[in-house]
Parts: sequence; structure tokens; C-alpha cells
Amino acid sequence: MSEVALLQLIGLLVVALGVAILLFIQARFLRVVGFVMIVLGTFALIALSIPQMASLPPAEEKFDVATIKTSADMAAIGQKIFFSKGQCALCHSIGPSESARCPDLKGIGAKLTREFIYESLTQPQAYIYLDYRHEGPPKQYPARMPHINKNPIGLSNNEILSVIAFLQQMSGEPITVSPSEILQPTAAAVALAQAR
Amino acid sequence: MTYHGKHRERRAGLWRRRAWSVAALIFLTGLLGIPLLGLAQDAAGTAATVAYRDIPQLGGSRNIIWVIAQQHLLLAGFVLGVPIFAWVCEIVGVRTGDKRYDKLAKEFTKLLTSAYATTALFGGILLFMLLGFYPKLMAYLTDIFFPSFVVYCALFLLETVTLYLYWYGWDVMQGGGKKGLHLFLGLLLNVFAFFIMIVPNSWATFQASPVVVAEGSALARAWAATWNPTWWPVNVHRLIANVVLGGFICGAYAGMRYLSANTHEERVHYDWMGYVGNFIGVFGMLPLPFAGYWLMREVYQYNQQMGITLMGGFLSWLFILQAFLIGVLFLGANYYFWLGITHRIEGSEVKYRRPIMAMLVILLLCLGVWMTPHSLVASLEEARKMGGTHHPLLGVFGVMSAKMTVVNIMILVTFMSFIIYWRAGKQVTATWAKVAQKVMGGVLGLAAIVVIVLGVWGYFVPAIVRINYFSVAQVLIVLFVLVTITPLTGLLMKSARTTTEMIWGRMPPRAGYALVLNAVMVILLMTLMGYARSSSRVHWHIYGVMRDSSQYAYSPALGYAAAFMSLNTFVFCLLVAFIFWVATMGDKAKAGEPGTKKKLPAGAYPAMAGGSPTLDQREG
Repeated sequence: MSEVALLQLIGLLVVALGVAILLFIQARFLRVVGFVMIVLGTFALIALSIPQMASLPPAEEKFDVATIKTSADMAAIGQKIFFSKGQCALCHSIGPSESARCPDLKGIGAKLTREFIYESLTQPQAYIYLDYRHEGPPKQYPARMPHINKNPIGLSNNEILSVIAFLQQMSGEPITVSPSEILQPTAAAVALAQAR
Repeated sequence: MTYHGKHRERRAGLWRRRAWSVAALIFLTGLLGIPLLGLAQDAAGTAATVAYRDIPQLGGSRNIIWVIAQQHLLLAGFVLGVPIFAWVCEIVGVRTGDKRYDKLAKEFTKLLTSAYATTALFGGILLFMLLGFYPKLMAYLTDIFFPSFVVYCALFLLETVTLYLYWYGWDVMQGGGKKGLHLFLGLLLNVFAFFIMIVPNSWATFQASPVVVAEGSALARAWAATWNPTWWPVNVHRLIANVVLGGFICGAYAGMRYLSANTHEERVHYDWMGYVGNFIGVFGMLPLPFAGYWLMREVYQYNQQMGITLMGGFLSWLFILQAFLIGVLFLGANYYFWLGITHRIEGSEVKYRRPIMAMLVILLLCLGVWMTPHSLVASLEEARKMGGTHHPLLGVFGVMSAKMTVVNIMILVTFMSFIIYWRAGKQVTATWAKVAQKVMGGVLGLAAIVVIVLGVWGYFVPAIVRINYFSVAQVLIVLFVLVTITPLTGLLMKSARTTTEMIWGRMPPRAGYALVLNAVMVILLMTLMGYARSSSRVHWHIYGVMRDSSQYAYSPALGYAAAFMSLNTFVFCLLVAFIFWVATMGDKAKAGEPGTKKKLPAGAYPAMAGGSPTLDQREG
């Protein structure tokens, strides 16, 4: 028996029990309980009669150094970090957006050097690029650029380089970050990861 | 020593003992709270090793949390909603001098006091479960929100002290200037309750709409995370919803007591209390859709994908269920008003039969439109015959433009039910009454027409125009109707002559069941929308920041979830029934004392055997 069929059967039993209570029992409290059982059972039966769709999570992405062979691999990983662990998309958009709270990053890889981007991510208040001042009315939820390499985001150096590779690729620029710059994990780190 | 002197001394002794009990309780709560905070901090340190724990034998961590959190939230909603209208009732009692309101306010507070400890108990269990099952998530949240955890504990202590003073001081603070102090305590109770609600709201809304938390002091980081895009919409929505929940639960309590009333006095009192509970529920229900609309707008503005998941994705059918529940709630609330008109006011049945029938037809039509799904489940052959998944006629009603329109019409109809009830049995005497009635009729008619015109027009404009301008205009028009007709009717009724007295205690048993139905619908709605809000985060603990990588990262289908909601609602109803039964044990014992109350003759029992108005009058 499928899960839906089983739940439908339980729902029917609950409604039937509620009806039986109302028909045969005179105690006031129990009659109200029977009435509530009919209402709840009916609700569950209605919900079970409509299309049943569960929302399954997508496969979890892992930053695996061993899979990185080319700069494009780095950019692909950087894109995933940009939209997940890096939390960049919480504030920045790629292209104009009404809801973005911080500067649009479209074409940023062409405007800024990789060193400048790296500094903006790790020391955001060191230098504010004038093109990226807030223009117009102040945003409703202004956010100060956090240090990406520190908690709570805490991206590793490899992850930051991958994000830079993505920003460059997304801007149509040649990727200047090389896979050779990726730091290989030490034996101790591998052992720790395996232990986890 | 005189009798009064002894009485005062005894009362003072009792008061001292209670004060000591309160002090001891606060101290104990504080002692309990400190290790909890320590645990929360410890979790930050050990989180790196364990992300999740589980007890699959008990149904799995997620289901356990689901049940406990739901019970806690429902109880908390009741506990935070009731003080608002208990306090308002007390003020009305003071201002009008009508002791019934003071008695009612005290009865509301008694229910609140008995539910308070259970709420805290479930809150404690929930915290332990969360720390145990989700250490990594809790460590992250603790790292960000620790200062607000401390504030929350302090607020809880203040709320507890105020509640005990408010409840136990009720009789002591009745006379002279002490009543003012009691009212002030009621105000404080509500202020603390409001902050107790909005602080944890910040934790939950941060999970749904996180903002970037930069470096800074612990306080600055906590504040940055607190001030997230859905915090205030949820605060407002929950505040109103808590009043609705509290009102309808008190109504259901009164309905139950009415059904089992043994004396005429009890029937009169609980009939009236049921009316007040239903009125509070309806009063809160009218602006609730507007608050919900604001919340959804903010969700869309924050993250369109989340909005689409809710309204157009796998959760879209959930809103058909929501329409069903709200529709039944509207019908139940109106039905109770109509029963009141026809049973409490003699001669009204004939006079109002046609308007009531018209309102019923309008409500049913609106409910039909609201429940029409946008796309139908159809076989390939059926889809070919229809020319797609959208039915050529019904498909028109499946879109937001139609739904927004019918919701607004249903609010207007419910409002009219209330106005009719208010005016029934009274004759207006003011010289300007005719003009006022024409103005009110014009405002209502015009508002209904404009709401429908905007709804139809909405089909021919881009979605953004409809959402940003047309829907907002519909909401504002209905609000305008509420804020113009209510005071005008109030002014008219001030000088009106009563032609038929309202007789309490004559409602048929089905009125009691209608009150219970309304409460069940509200509880189900809260469980349903809790599931919606949680599922809109899909596979994220904190949307876009911390992924749920446990085996429970999926959102279950609606049928399974609805079965769980029904279970949660049933458990909650039993829990509340038990708490109220315990709380009113003393009253029943007092009522059982010889000579305290008149027992009704067998023929006059209203609840199960059908009331006899003739007998009632003779008894009265």
C-alpha cells in the first residue's frame, strides 16, 4: 500500500470514528471531539486528493580540488560558491535588479583587476571603487561588504580564487586565475576531512 | 479584631505567600536559563564535529521538531494574543462601568495564566531538541543572535513577573487608584509580550530572508541579522493572527462551556463570551489578508524564486487548501453572526432572511472562485479537449486577479454581517440618519463595484501593474469602507432606540459547534502556513547561506504534511481542553456548592436537547 493510500485509509477511519461518536455517544465533550475528528479527517482527505509533489533537494556540490583541471572548472565552481556558500547573491545582482541591495556586478571582471577584486573581497573597506557607490535613494536594507575570508562566510583562498575566475568569465574576460594556484590540501587536512 | 480586619490580614498573608512563590519561580527560571545559554555557547564549539543527530525510532528528528515547534507556536500565539483583548476588555469595563467586561477580562486572563506555563514548557523542550538535533545550525544562529537570546530571557522574566502580578492582583487592585495600576500592568504585559514575539521572529525570519552579517560587535551583528526584509511583515502578520487565534479559541472555549451549561446564568454568560470571542476573531481576520499580502510582496521583493516556489511552484496547491480553510472560516464566522441575529433578537429572522441568503450565496460563489486551481490535473485526452491544462472557463478564475477580488468581496460581506448584527433590534433616531445611511450604502456599493472593476481590469494589464497598483488599490478601498462605516454606525447606534432587546443564552447547540469549527480552522490555517513558510526555504536551513544536508532536506508532499497538520491540531485541541479543564476545576467546585446557582429544569437544557424559549423566559 502506498503512503498516500495508507493516509487516506487513516483519514477515512478518523472521519468514521467521529461520525460514530456523534451518532452513539451523548457525552458533550466526546461529541465535540468527534466533531473535530470529522473536520480534521475531511481536511486531510481533501489534501490527499490533490496532486502530491514533494520538493527534493538538488545534489550537494562539493569543492573538490582533484576535479579542477582547467580555469573553466574553477569558474564553474566559483559560480556555485557565488550563489551558495559565498552568499554574494544575497546582495549583488548580475545585471540590473530592483531588489538588489548592493552594486550590480555585471561586467565587473572586465573593469577590475583580479588583485583589486581579491582586495575588495578580503579587505572590503581598503578602497571603495567610485563607480560602485550607492546612487539614488538609499536602499531599504543596506549591507556593508563583509570580509569574505572571515566568519560567518569564511571562504578559503581556493574558493575566493574560484569566485574571481567566475566573475572574469561572466564578464567575457580571459580567466587570469590558474589551477596551479589552487593550494593542495595537506595530509593532515585530508585525514581530518575523512574522519568527518 | 473585626471580620474585615481579619480578612485583610488573611489577604495580606496570602499575597505575601504568592509573592514568595513568584520570586522563587523567577529565581528558578533564571537558574534554568543560565545553563541553557551556556549550552548554546558550547554548541558553537562542538558544532564542527556533529552537524545532525536523530532518533529514527521516534519518527525522526524533523517530525519530532515539527510536533514540538507547532505546539509551542500555537500555545505562544494564544498566550501572546489573549492579553491584548483581555486588557482591552478590562478598559471597556472601567470606561463603561459594566462589570461583565471585567469578569470576562479576568476569565480570559485565567485561561492565559494556565496556558503560559505549558507554552514555556514546550519552548524549553523545543530548545533542547534543536540543540540536540541541529547543533551546527544552532551554533551558527547562536553565534549571530546571542545578544538577542539574553534579551529574550530577560523579557521572559519580566513577562512572568508582570503576568503573575496582573493575575493574582486582579481582586486586590479593584478599588480606587489601584485599578489604574492594574491597567498599567496590563499595558506592560502587552508590551513585553510584543517584544517576546518579535525577538524570536527575527531568528525565524533570518532563516527565510538572511542578510549579510559583517564583522562588528556582537550587538551590531545581531541587530543587522534581526533587521531583515521579512521581519516586520511577519511581526505584523503574527500579531494580528495571534489576536485571531486567541479570539476564536476563547470563542470555542465559551462554545464548549455553553454546550455543557447547567444553569441559565452560565448559558447567558458563555453565550455572550462566545459572541465576544467570535467578534474578536472576525475583527482580527478582516485585516489579516492585507498583512499576508504585504508579507508575500516582501518575499517576492527579497527573492523572486522564493515567491515563485510559494505561489507557482510545488506549494501552489497549498493555497487552494488555504482558500478552503479561510472560506470555511468566513462561512463559520458569518453563520455564527446570522444565528445570533435570528435567535437573540426576536422578529429578526423574517426581516433579515433575504439579506442573509444573499450574503450566503455571495460567500459561496466567492469561495468557489477562490478555490479554483489555475491548472487542472487532467489526462492527455482531457487536456486536448480543453485545449491545454487550463479550463477555458474555470481557468479564468484560477488567476490572482480573480482571487484578490473575491477575497475582498468576502471581507466586505463579513463586515456587512457584523453591521447588520450591530443594527438589528434598534431604530435610528438621529436627524442625519437618512443621509448617513445613504452615504454608507453608497460607499459600500461603490467600493464593491470598484473592487470588481479593478479585478476584471487586472486581466488586461501586466502582472507588475496588477500587483503594485490594482491589488493595493483593492485593499485600500476595502480598508476605507471599514474605517468609514464603522464609526458612522457607531455614532448612529449611540442615539438609536432599542426596539427588541437582545436575549442571551438562547442560541441553538449548532452555534457552539460553529465556534469550535472556527477555532479548528484557524489552528489548521496556522499549521498550514507554518509548513508553507518552512517549505519555502526548500533545502536550506538559512536560505542561500546554510544548506540542509540531513536526510530530511526534502519538503514532504502536501497530503503527508496535511495529515501531520491534522494530528498537530488535534493534539493542540486536546492539550488546550485539558489546560482549560484544569483551570476551571475550581469554578465547577464552587458552582456545585449548595445554593450558589440555579439548576435548569430538564426541558430547558439548550445544548443537546434543543432550548425552549418559553421555558427560558419563565426561568429568567
